[in-house]
Amino acid sequence: MIEYEFLKAKYLGNALKILDSYKNVKLLAGGTDILVDIHKKSKRLGDFNYILDISNIEELKYIEETSQTVEIGPLCTHTMLIESELISNMYPFLVTAAKTIGSPQIRNRGTVGGNISNASPAADLVPPLIALKTQLELSSVEGKRFVPLEKYIVGPYKTSQNPNELITKIIIPKIDKEYFGVFLKIGRRRAVNIARLNLAILAKVKQNIIEDIRIVPGSATPYPVRFTNLEQEIIGKRIDQIILEKITPKISEEMISITGERWSTPYKKPALEALFKRGMESIFAVFNN
Amino acid sequence: MNKISVTFYVNGKKEVLEVTPKERLLDTLRDQLKLKSVKEGCDVGECGACTVILNGQAVHSCLVLTAQLDGDEVYTTESLEKDGLLDPLQQAFIDHQAVQCGFCTPGILMSAKALLNKNPNPTREEIKTAIEGNLCRCTGYEQIIQAIESVSEKKLSSR
Repeated sequence: MIEYEFLKAKYLGNALKILDSYKNVKLLAGGTDILVDIHKKSKRLGDFNYILDISNIEELKYIEETSQTVEIGPLCTHTMLIESELISNMYPFLVTAAKTIGSPQIRNRGTVGGNISNASPAADLVPPLIALKTQLELSSVEGKRFVPLEKYIVGPYKTSQNPNELITKIIIPKIDKEYFGVFLKIGRRRAVNIARLNLAILAKVKQNIIEDIRIVPGSATPYPVRFTNLEQEIIGKRIDQIILEKITPKISEEMISITGERWSTPYKKPALEALFKRGMESIFAVFNN
Repeated sequence: MNKISVTFYVNGKKEVLEVTPKERLLDTLRDQLKLKSVKEGCDVGECGACTVILNGQAVHSCLVLTAQLDGDEVYTTESLEKDGLLDPLQQAFIDHQAVQCGFCTPGILMSAKALLNKNPNPTREEIKTAIEGNLCRCTGYEQIIQAIESVSEKKLSSR
């Protein structure tokens, strides 16, 4: 049986003090990952003595616009993200991703900060957030530091967060209106679906030229990363210069260059290619009109 | 193991309880408060049988620790019947034969209730999304969807 003591913080200051003075603390927000892991006695949990409940820290539940960025409090639920007009207007593909998470019950409880810090290779918000060059503000009693999301996740279920730190802000840069994002996901079923593969593509097209593209598959590599080789093949080209049949195998080549041939490769190779092709076709369709 | 004192509201009634760190809302509702409509199914947020309404939203009571609650409002299926009269939603489930073994029913009722409270005239798609986290292994979902559709405001006022 997993035994632990229950600690609770209603204010950020309290939470940071507790994280600094107690050892082996697990954070509890929405609980949709950690309570499942506890129930399954998952090895992923490691040893811990305390659970610190941060779910009632109201100051970490907000979505705000600044001149250059959109800032999301880590305790925003997926439902808050979906219902936010600001997020829907600025980053519609992030809403698409949030809508594919679990079920209403999970989306009502699970948090954006939790989806990020759990660092699952299949996390649905992570690929679009990496494509958006999201920065995280990490706070501790010593102060704040900022880490790109790309550097924050360092392995499957592993982050570079120190034990006394907490994500206190998720910062998404604003993007030009020439950018268009897509999020695609495949799994075993439509609902309550953990991604077998997902994919975020964010592209900037001006006068039919792809000026910028960011390609981030999920569940394809140990943790989501940008496929920069593939991005370089595409950047600077005109839409009509890109032959999808030629370019799509390159996404699986890049995946295999990272993972090697795995038991799942015979499935993931054609599936990721098909997903990428579908994503690029929908981007082209938008800009051809 | 420490005991935690929590105060919250269940079906409109204030409860002050002592809970253990491991006690889930599901356990508290069933064992301390004897609200047996709340069903224990998968325990991992997949089946939806333990769904209750927490602060207006459908949630899995198996994935909430009761110690996390702090003045929150919880509603279970027991709250639907008023003065011996079934809620129209409950009656609709009977009328549409949307119940077979009944194990999933309280969870689906709460998912549907959370939807209808927010959106009294949901589309068929919105109904499907609202109950996508509730598994039913006997009746099929068609009768359930029809039952929920039948109590939308428009349908009720056109009767």
